[in-house]
Amino acid sequence: MEASATSQPAAVGETVLRLEGVHKRFGKLEVLRGVDLDIKRGEVVCVLGPSGSGKSTLLRCINLLEPPEEGHILLDGQEITGQKKDGVDFVRRRVGMVFQQFNLFPHMNATENVCIAQRKALGRSDSEATEKAVSLLRRVGLGDKLGEYPDRLSGGQQQRVAISRALAMDPEVILFDEVTSALDPELVKEVLDVMKELASEGMTMVVVTHEMGFAKDVADKVVFMDGGVVVEYGPPSEVLGNPKQERTKKFLGRVLEH
Amino acid sequence: MDRILEEYFDLDVMFDPENLDKVLEGFWFTVRLSIIAGVTSLLFGLFLAVLRQTPGRWGALVRWPTIAYIDVFRGVPALLTILIVSLSLGALSAPDPDTGEDGPLPRFLGVPDWFGLPSPFWYGVIALTLTYGAYLAEVYRAGIEAVPSGQSEAARSLGMSHGQTMRHIVVPQAISKVIPPLLNDFIALMKDTTLVSVIGLAEVVQVGRDIQNETFNSSALMLGAILFILVTIPMARLVDYLIVRQQRKTQRTGGGGDDDGPDPVALERGRVPSAGA
Repeated sequence: MEASATSQPAAVGETVLRLEGVHKRFGKLEVLRGVDLDIKRGEVVCVLGPSGSGKSTLLRCINLLEPPEEGHILLDGQEITGQKKDGVDFVRRRVGMVFQQFNLFPHMNATENVCIAQRKALGRSDSEATEKAVSLLRRVGLGDKLGEYPDRLSGGQQQRVAISRALAMDPEVILFDEVTSALDPELVKEVLDVMKELASEGMTMVVVTHEMGFAKDVADKVVFMDGGVVVEYGPPSEVLGNPKQERTKKFLGRVLEH
Repeated sequence: MDRILEEYFDLDVMFDPENLDKVLEGFWFTVRLSIIAGVTSLLFGLFLAVLRQTPGRWGALVRWPTIAYIDVFRGVPALLTILIVSLSLGALSAPDPDTGEDGPLPRFLGVPDWFGLPSPFWYGVIALTLTYGAYLAEVYRAGIEAVPSGQSEAARSLGMSHGQTMRHIVVPQAISKVIPPLLNDFIALMKDTTLVSVIGLAEVVQVGRDIQNETFNSSALMLGAILFILVTIPMARLVDYLIVRQQRKTQRTGGGGDDDGPDPVALERGRVPSAGA
């Protein structure tokens, strides 16, 4: 990000990720029923919607963990759907993902968690990878936990390691899949703070979340999904502040009640 | 009563220096055979288990023969495999009785005497590896399937290939999950090494029978049994201890990432170490 921070301003506004008519089925169940999205460099896009609306599946389609059956996904204008195996690895190196359950590697300490893919997938040297890992972990406030194993870290700390792990690959886009949902309430803030900082540095982010405050304050665009389609899409002031669709209103009414 | 005691525990027979020497030497064969066949089975089983996980449509060309191999060798008694290996390898390397032509198998493979150990020893290693490789492949598979899918998803989403993901993420975690069942199968393998006596290896059973034939007394065989117990019971206790420790660990971490796949340790619990074959 040190590098991308300088090249960012010129590139802001250019489309990084484009989805056209994306469909995903699991057997007979059609989870995504034609999703179109256009995500520009440096944008933070929050995806909201009731459970089962296809939000997580959407993210998993974008990095091809669940390749879509229909439609196109373009990364930097290059089609990534229907790629051969090498293409899949290529895409995943450019699109980072952070998971709800952290999915840290339990047999490796924090630094090793951040290093392993740098070394194996990017071919970085041990010392280069370690240097990068240490500086990222320090930035997310874990400078004193470099050698700790995941089972000795709190959920919030684990999730910050996971974010560092994704950042270490210098991705163009990071996908966040309900990354605070498995956290105790008092640990949510430390993770959201890291995400806010990333956003302010110009990282392109697609964030599936239930954190309305985060969506309102940080998102450039909000996507409201229901039943496998995008119901409403626009700046948070519109989608959250002045929703046009009945389904969006109902959902927001239910979420904001408590 | 004295007859009975004498039949099984005649100390004169048991501790006759010549007999004792023979029995201990026989047991030393058993130990070496167990360790060497144990190590080769561990490696071969892991190899099979990884082949079984080859992904993709074309991977089926690897997966299916591997599954077929595992099914066949788990289904054939170890004794039969030992006989087939020893008789066929010897025959294939022998010169043709009519033409005097060399056999299709070189002599050093057909009648192996590596490291100064007799060929029945190596036939035993080969046959037990073929059999226990298949058993252990299934143990490893349970371990691989018990690693939460989120682990390989995380690795794959970081751009690591399937091979890298298996090697660095999945297999290390799988192995640590299945150490108790692997040890259990090692106990079974150790007991199955006695089957190699049928092809003339002077291991503990063979020696005990020889002495029985001379003295008409079972005490040498009993001594062999006692030696086995001295090794296998501590190992069984070790397995129990490891299982308990692992369960405690799983409970402590709340089973957080452990929610999918069968728990190989739980599957193995209650299965008293017994000859699996």
